[in-house]
Amino acid sequence: MNRPADDHDDAASLTGLHEADARSGFRLLTSTLAHYRRDLALAIGGALLWMSMVVAVPYLVGMVIDRAITGDAHESLGRLVLFLLGAGVLLGIGIGVRRYFSFRVSYGAEVDLRKRMFEHMQRLAFSFHDVTSTGELMARASSDLSQVRLIYAMTPITLANIGMFLSVVVVLILVDPVLGAVTSLTVPAVLVLSRSYARRVIRLSYELQQRLADLSRVVEESIGGIQVIKSYGQEHQEQDKLDQAAFKIFDRGVKLAKVRSRFAPMFELMPSIATIAVLWLGGVRVVAGDITLGQFVAFTQYLAMLNFPLRISGWFFAQLPRATAAASRIQTLLAADPAIADPTEPVSLPPGRGEVRFRDVTFGFAPGSAVLRGLDLAIPGGTSLAVVGATGAGKTTLAHLIPRFRDVERGAITLDGVDVRTIALDELRREVAVVFQETYLFSASVRDNIGFGDPDATDEQIRLAARLAQAHDFISDLPAGYDTIVGERGHSLSGGQRQRVALARAVLRDPRVLILDDATSSVDAIVEAEMLAALEQVMRGRTTIIVAHRTSTLALADQVVFLDGGRIVAMGTHAELLAAVPRYGEVLAQAEASR
Amino acid sequence: MSDRLFRRAIRLGSGLGPAAVAALAATVVATVARLLGPMAVRFGIDQGITVGDRGVITVAALLYGGLIVAQYFAQRTSQYAVAWLGQRFLTQLRSAVFAHLMRLDMAFYGRSKAGVLVSRMTNDIESIQDFAEEGAVTLVTNLLTIAGVAAAMLLVDLTAALQVMSLIAVLIVASWLFQLFAGRAYREVREQIGRVLATLQEGITGVRVVQAFTREREQAGAFGSVSSDYLDANMATARAVAWYFPSVEILRIIGYGVLLFFGGRRVISGDMTFGTVVSLLLYLDWFFAPITNLSNTVNQMQSASAGLQKLFRLMDTPPAVVDAFDAVDLPDRLGGRVVFDDVSFGYDPNLLVVQDVSLSIEPGERVAIVGETGAGKSTLARLALRFYDPTTGTVTLDGRDLKTVSGRSRSRHVSLIPQEGFLFNGTLRDNLHYARPDATDDDLWRVCAAVGIEPWVRALPERLDTLVRERGSRFSAGERQLVALARAMLADPAVIVLDEATANLDPETEARVEEALGTVLEGRTAIVIAHRLRSAERADRVVMMNAGRVIALGSHHALVADSAEYARLVSVWERGILR
Repeated sequence: MNRPADDHDDAASLTGLHEADARSGFRLLTSTLAHYRRDLALAIGGALLWMSMVVAVPYLVGMVIDRAITGDAHESLGRLVLFLLGAGVLLGIGIGVRRYFSFRVSYGAEVDLRKRMFEHMQRLAFSFHDVTSTGELMARASSDLSQVRLIYAMTPITLANIGMFLSVVVVLILVDPVLGAVTSLTVPAVLVLSRSYARRVIRLSYELQQRLADLSRVVEESIGGIQVIKSYGQEHQEQDKLDQAAFKIFDRGVKLAKVRSRFAPMFELMPSIATIAVLWLGGVRVVAGDITLGQFVAFTQYLAMLNFPLRISGWFFAQLPRATAAASRIQTLLAADPAIADPTEPVSLPPGRGEVRFRDVTFGFAPGSAVLRGLDLAIPGGTSLAVVGATGAGKTTLAHLIPRFRDVERGAITLDGVDVRTIALDELRREVAVVFQETYLFSASVRDNIGFGDPDATDEQIRLAARLAQAHDFISDLPAGYDTIVGERGHSLSGGQRQRVALARAVLRDPRVLILDDATSSVDAIVEAEMLAALEQVMRGRTTIIVAHRTSTLALADQVVFLDGGRIVAMGTHAELLAAVPRYGEVLAQAEASR
Repeated sequence: MSDRLFRRAIRLGSGLGPAAVAALAATVVATVARLLGPMAVRFGIDQGITVGDRGVITVAALLYGGLIVAQYFAQRTSQYAVAWLGQRFLTQLRSAVFAHLMRLDMAFYGRSKAGVLVSRMTNDIESIQDFAEEGAVTLVTNLLTIAGVAAAMLLVDLTAALQVMSLIAVLIVASWLFQLFAGRAYREVREQIGRVLATLQEGITGVRVVQAFTREREQAGAFGSVSSDYLDANMATARAVAWYFPSVEILRIIGYGVLLFFGGRRVISGDMTFGTVVSLLLYLDWFFAPITNLSNTVNQMQSASAGLQKLFRLMDTPPAVVDAFDAVDLPDRLGGRVVFDDVSFGYDPNLLVVQDVSLSIEPGERVAIVGETGAGKSTLARLALRFYDPTTGTVTLDGRDLKTVSGRSRSRHVSLIPQEGFLFNGTLRDNLHYARPDATDDDLWRVCAAVGIEPWVRALPERLDTLVRERGSRFSAGERQLVALARAMLADPAVIVLDEATANLDPETEARVEEALGTVLEGRTAIVIAHRLRSAERADRVVMMNAGRVIALGSHHALVADSAEYARLVSVWERGILR
């Protein structure tokens, strides 16, 4: 029942993806890696050095034993041991180089990809963000990216391991074909075991992650709804939900432990099993004089060495499809069309008072279902227009078309005579400022939040904007004044205070056109009264478009346009509409009835 | 992990003792079996291979095989048992922390950020997971192995063992230094990844504002600098790792060299058997692995103890509102008289939010509390729900002090309707049952009909079984509100505290909610936190608050005439009405 979409996703990643997706994911993996050619080469070089020394050390140990200890060349003992130490130093250098540059490749690629994703997400239009949840985007940039990083981190060691593995097998067979053949038999066993182990562990860990996410949802909900819980005295019911979620985690965790405990000791003991063979068969062969004691010792050490590379390779090949699936999801995001982009040859905006015209504008969120149909509307520069209509009438959409948060389907919108689609986005949005219905403040100081609109603004300008928006007084009363941190991780402001900060942020840019999208909807009458004073100030002499359904706000506007069914039903002053359009009065009366 | 913290953690895992003993026993068996292995090899070489006795070789091989089988099963048991213990402990911890959260009072929730509380239950507990799952077994196994290997080596050959152990001293110093640097570097990485994710999340949730102000480039720049800090932090760990692991490897090879050189000379001079050298070489590897493993475990332990500390701090916060030990149940039928007797309350006792309020609300009466934001309306109303206890004075329900009444029976008689209809993930039926778990479907349909949502629910594809999705996101705000009203009606409380929504719904839904409210409040005592003229007009009496005090009390009409403050408020409200 829990998020079947994800389970499906995972199934696809484990059992093989659609081929095209897998290819695009794989292309992203390799093309990103291409930027790190030098680091990758160094990491592989280090790994190869490390690997060859790992193979050389037992060989040298065997030589020390055969020549200097059990053999006759006793005097060469010191020299041979020095060789061994030299090999040890090279081994150390190899391992250091491999580890350092593997880090560089994997974390560098992770950071690059995340930056690319961030930049791209910032460019994607409202239409994209309307249908994509924050959680989904976060998952792309965190868990999916971790999968990719893991495979990058493992690439150099896996490549070196395959080489090492092959050379060990060759050395073993060269030293003693019989013993070599016997010990090589453990190879397929380890490979098969480690793949099946990795597959199970990865699936179970994924399920465990899902159960952890479920528990986190239960906790979020209980904390979000604590008032309701306390009011109905249902703490025990929430406790039951939590205990169930915790039990599911326990269940998965124990299953995972079961698999781990069955396999992990087996991997660890695999070389020991081969040691039995070596001890017995090798011992018999030493006695028969087929091999030397030194070779016998070297064998036991090579055996220990075969195990680890095989396990790592097993992990790598089990992880690869998962990383490819994650990369293909990332690629899909990076390939998403920004939809709204700068014109290729932008026209610069002539000076003007902010006259806005809609010419035969049609817009729909999906083809064939228009929200606005053939709209014609002129807002003279410096005047204000209120937009009224029932929910879903297209008020917000109309407002969002001017700064090109969305593009018209048909027709055109002009600002001071210039089609908005031909103006550079930066310039257009500098002149058209919006206060959204849902105020968003960043986790930063009040000063930075107001200054967001204009990074070059002086403290004086910020204070002026705050005064204009009637926000200066309450900001001064905050614990650290303009330096108080607000937003999700800071001081909590009331709805009305947040809206006034947002208003200050918009007027700081001194735009030609100001759009207020239902900016007073979520405040009570007293706060609204304070907001009205602020609005009156900022609207003076500025083209203003207000989406509203409170009459107190409507009365501020020079003209009111009444939308119904995607068309303009009537237009005039508030009083004129009240007198002439019965339906307008009805909609407002219904709103008032509930006050 | 400090001693006190450790002991407290042990207490939390009560009932897990026998399993822990079994796990420890299995771990000891596994370690001993492992340590005996090289002894068997030495026996095979010295008594079999070098003297040419095939019988002994076979015995040694069989012996070795038996040890491996024993080791496999012992290790499997120990690993499983320890992981089981860890999971069990985490489950108990989750349950205990959450139970404490549920006991904590609303004043606590008022001053805590939801995100922080969620992260206690998720990130902080998960930070213990690694250690609980494998860290503990790694710790025990490796410590046992080190002790065992040391003992075995000393037993095999004292001189050679001491020579090798001098290298171990160097290794321990190197590990300690690594721990010092890497520990700091890992902490930095944890911090930086937190910043990266926070910045990322803000970039996504605030994307509309970013685009409206064309700050995409600056945002990307800011994200880039956070990202490079994150990369730097990771490269600092890379440097520590790139120094430490090579040093360990080089030390290991030096160990080989020392054993071969000094041991070899003694074999040549006949002081030592060859099998001894081989077994010491085998032991040497086992000496190094545990020490490097331990340095990883120390990291896990540090993050686990940081997590535990935060959890214990939370669990040390006492709930301010608890049932008295001699709490009584209220009778089944209640009149619903609510009396505030000289009540004062402040979240901080020096900053009273409600001051000296005396107010008697008759059964079935509807009282509207009005006043500016921050006047104490909402706090006063919630005192009737015993979300908080008064600092001084008493709140009584039908003459009984709320402090002496059991929470269970109080919540049956006093309900809150919050500003926004909060729905829990689950079906509509689950959400309604929330108010009365034993209600029949007929009861549910009856309340749906009463608040006017019956036709709507019947038209839903799965009717009462329709899933509301997270926080009811499937439904509109108005629909959620109506379901919340049906829920309140099902609870059939004598007293309702209504926190009126400030946000406007669309006019038609608003009218439906208004009508449903009328039905739900009918015949009950209602305390309405009012933001609208209409609500004040409809109330039997209006309580006007200012700075925590009641400054006027009476019917709407009486107050308009008598109270200048109220008249001013009404005129503000009226300005919003058609001119």
